[in-house]
Amino acid sequence: MSNLDHGKFTRVTTLFHSLLGLDVFLLFFTGYAIMFNDELWWMLTLMGGASGVTAIHRITGIGLVALVVFWITLQLISSTGRSNFSKILPAKDDIDAFIQDVQFVLGRADERHPSARQFAGYKADEVPLLSYIGKGVVAIFSIELTLLAISGLLIWSKTGLAAMFQTKAAAMAFVTFHGLLGVIMLMGVMFHIFEHGMHPAFYPVETKAFIPRSMVPEHHGDDDEEPDTTGIERLSLSPSWRTVSTVFGAMTVIGIVSVLVGSIFDEGYPVPRELAIGGGPSSILLTVGINLGMIVLGVGLVLSMYGNVLRIRWEQQLEQEREPTTAADGGEPQTDGGRPDAGDSEN
Amino acid sequence: MSTGNEVMHDGVMSTGEDARIFPDVEACIDCGGCVVSCKRTWDVPRDEQRISIATMLEGQEAASGLNASSGKAIGQGESPGETAVPMQCYHCSNAPCVSVCPTDSLISKENGFVRVRDDLCIGCQYCLSACPFGAPQFPDEDSGVANLVGSGGTMDKCTMCEERQDVGKGPACAEECATDAILVGTPAQISDELDNRDSGTFFNDVAMDIIFGDDASEFQ
Ligand code: SF4
Ligand code: SF4
Repeated sequence: MSNLDHGKFTRVTTLFHSLLGLDVFLLFFTGYAIMFNDELWWMLTLMGGASGVTAIHRITGIGLVALVVFWITLQLISSTGRSNFSKILPAKDDIDAFIQDVQFVLGRADERHPSARQFAGYKADEVPLLSYIGKGVVAIFSIELTLLAISGLLIWSKTGLAAMFQTKAAAMAFVTFHGLLGVIMLMGVMFHIFEHGMHPAFYPVETKAFIPRSMVPEHHGDDDEEPDTTGIERLSLSPSWRTVSTVFGAMTVIGIVSVLVGSIFDEGYPVPRELAIGGGPSSILLTVGINLGMIVLGVGLVLSMYGNVLRIRWEQQLEQEREPTTAADGGEPQTDGGRPDAGDSEN
Repeated sequence: MSTGNEVMHDGVMSTGEDARIFPDVEACIDCGGCVVSCKRTWDVPRDEQRISIATMLEGQEAASGLNASSGKAIGQGESPGETAVPMQCYHCSNAPCVSVCPTDSLISKENGFVRVRDDLCIGCQYCLSACPFGAPQFPDEDSGVANLVGSGGTMDKCTMCEERQDVGKGPACAEECATDAILVGTPAQISDELDNRDSGTFFNDVAMDIIFGDDASEFQ
């Protein structure tokens, strides 16, 4: 099996990924429409104005909590869940790989750790399927989502929170924490979208998060022998990749920087005025930048939907490939290769 | 002008731009006149009020010799005894509510008034957590979308009767107050008046900085 057979996740995981993505995107769109209401006024209007946006934000927030609870339960009660869980826990190898990669970047190591060469044409027995990078992404997202959900629930009722901690400062601290976490998470998500959408081998979307590993064949070779290569040389780079990834990369960087700058300059939430260094949201550049960031999110949403379309197509293709056997009861497969293509199959 | 025996109705010293509102806690007798006049003037709903009188240390006597000088007592670190503090929005110079409002629905206007823009407020209640004086109110908490998703409804608070001040009248509460416990004027005027009356400021330095900003030095 090569790493290009990129079915890493179970069916439930891929479904969960899509649902979580949809929910988190909605949380981002509403949360950011609230936070950068000057720059994203159109978004606020589209989502039903001030009260509509809060309503959606709170409802999707509950959705997020439900998803997380469902996920944790599943991890605990199913044996696949438990074994998957132990697989994503960082091991000694991951720490070594991380250290070696840092050394490599600093010029103190001759080569990157094998774990970091996932997509460089290595095969599964040479390179672990789940590198420390993958594990890190999972860990960071899980921790952030949990903290966001907890702080979000806590600030649901500010009066309740103030009463609980006997101080208003506690309520404001959680509010600020929730906002800053949102900023950090958004930057991560934008990068995640770029990373998995613009990968040269898989552009426009890396399907491993959409096509469950149970549907992925063991390897791409035609015979039963272990193939010599990973098959990476058979992939051709999409002609539009260079342009699109440059534009999208620029948008991601500008978006990330603008959101960061915006949350520092835009006095108020989540950075209180006393700490803000700028003078309000008057800058056109900031408005353009933050909107670019939102477009990156929008593209992420489209890619996520497209990933699901690809999965459905994949399923249909697998269906069709099975058809020749059913045709063996007297019917005749219509192509000599034994594999009718889509146009040939009737009813 | 105020003379020693004629302090009545001298509470409103100037109105409009740069006018501030501030209580003289020595004069407040907890009669509720300000609450009534505010509600009557602005049709404030039954269970709401834009100004309230916080009574502290109810029924207690102050440290000896300071029974009618809460401000002084506080300044000396002594117990002020029972003290009634008219609390409303003080239209702070460094308004924490404006600072935290995520939708910019709270604004500090050029003329010194802190206004809430109803159409932008999403009822997140951040201002409620930020205001040290409990000014923000949420009358619509239980209606419409607010009821469904548990948000706060649109915020409402004391406007310092901006509309009345525009035509040269004082805020309803200050005009109505029988003992002139609510002072309206420039920081200098308020500070002078408090000095004349030999009343203290009652609030601590942090609160004074929030309310008056740089002008807090007038009160030292
Ligand atoms: S912090 Fe409170 S008292 Fe100060 S302006 Fe805001 S609402 Fe008014
Ligand atoms: S409740 Fe309204 S006025 Fe208060 S901070 Fe939230 S949006 Fe601003």
